[in-house]
Amino acid sequence: MAKNHTRYIFSMGELKRKDNSIAFINEKGNFYIPIEDTREIYCINEVSFNTKFLDFVAKAGITIHFFNYHGNYSGSFYPKDYLVSGTLTIKQSIVFIENRLNIAKNIVKTIAANIYEVLYHYYRHDKKELKPVLDWLKNDADKFISKDITIEQLLFIEGQIWNRFYDSFQYFLPEDFVMNKRVKRPPDNPINALVSFGNTLLYTKTISSIYHTHLNQSISFLHSPGEGRFSLSLDLSEVFKPVIVFKTIFDLVGRKQLQVQKHFDKNLNYALLNEDGKKIFINAFEERINETFMHPKLKRKVSLKHCIKLDGYKLIKHIVEGREFVPFSLKDKM
Amino acid sequence: MITGTLINYYFHCQTQCWLHANRINLEDNSEDVRIGKVLHEIKEEKSKQAEIKIDNIKIDRITKDYLIEFKKSDSDPQAVKWQVLLYLYKLKQKGIQRLGKIEYFEKNKEQKSEILELDEANEEELLKVLDAIEKLISSATPPPPKFENKCKKCAYYEYCFI
Ligand code: SF4
Repeated sequence: MAKNHTRYIFSMGELKRKDNSIAFINEKGNFYIPIEDTREIYCINEVSFNTKFLDFVAKAGITIHFFNYHGNYSGSFYPKDYLVSGTLTIKQSIVFIENRLNIAKNIVKTIAANIYEVLYHYYRHDKKELKPVLDWLKNDADKFISKDITIEQLLFIEGQIWNRFYDSFQYFLPEDFVMNKRVKRPPDNPINALVSFGNTLLYTKTISSIYHTHLNQSISFLHSPGEGRFSLSLDLSEVFKPVIVFKTIFDLVGRKQLQVQKHFDKNLNYALLNEDGKKIFINAFEERINETFMHPKLKRKVSLKHCIKLDGYKLIKHIVEGREFVPFSLKDKM
Repeated sequence: MITGTLINYYFHCQTQCWLHANRINLEDNSEDVRIGKVLHEIKEEKSKQAEIKIDNIKIDRITKDYLIEFKKSDSDPQAVKWQVLLYLYKLKQKGIQRLGKIEYFEKNKEQKSEILELDEANEEELLKVLDAIEKLISSATPPPPKFENKCKKCAYYEYCFI
């Protein structure tokens, strides 16, 4: 099985280059991280470093993601593109102009389909109250997206899909976790805190995966290209949210591995994960994203994390050869 | 301008040749390659490789009699042969005449080598090949991939068959 190349740093300290290794230094001592099997570093706490260190990790193509004490994402260190392709960027822009809506529609359709799969699991386990939302996802949402609609209308229906999904949590999550409204920033209850943290982890994973392709991260299709430097990563992470982020949350909460009283910060109205909570969440998240299965088409074992990159390849194929872009479907596992 | 890598790929696989020429270079997923690359890049800070560059071709070594190309294995001798003939041809245009020598290093095996000469017949054929490559790489889309054994180890495998 492929190794996990992600390092999380939970304590305060300093990152340094030590010969051909990365050293992390804090009051407990020096820890060495071999550079050749590191692809990303997550700094979950305050970490200092110098430009010599950045230069070193840049050469190895390592991305670094920074989070502040509250678990909010501050930004990423993204070494200068090593797979730059002018031709592909030009073609990607042309596809944006000519075919944006189609790609965006396929993304939204797949979000609905993947949410359907996730909810269907609970429906089969006796949560019959989910029937209306399942029907709506399968029929109404899909029909609406297939119509001749504008990108604004598409974004509206995408919002509806997520809202109905959040509304359905009341039928299968314990009461102290159920949220009434999804508020992004600041998270105002435990479930929102989990969703925000999980979505950000997934988003940064996507940034790292797309870094290892030729795609231009700022030309996106569902989100407006202006929304951020990495708006394409916002696009490509969407269909994986139900599969990776929400499945992780439902499992942890359902099995009581995460509890409101124990793993959230009381001082902040339980609206933030505490350190233990973050560790539990990250562990489960990593486990899920690295789980492997047989890819039906490639006939190789792949992980969900790798499927993000494969979606990048599908997009390149669409851009280069015009083949329809069909994102990762939980049902088909490809 | 057609490089040694391109002519090598052309004989190895035309899809690969097109993708590479059109700058769709995919990261090699195999860990061995990645580790090798990382270490190589980091070491390169200290010592620059002893390659010789002429125009856009990189030559491993030139001696009084030979242009030498080193290869790890002889898995695709046809492709290497044409790569070396291209180099000989480019040298000849600069007024440098050499014989070509390919040295293979197989794991746990003796070193093997092969001598090549650019003569009238293969020079003419080389020009035809260069023409064919130009045509191939300027077409709008790559030739559809055909699954063969070599695909399993190819960096483009996932791109080709996803
Ligand atoms: S995977 Fe096969 S068809 Fe595709 S580029 Fe490689 S060798 Fe050619």
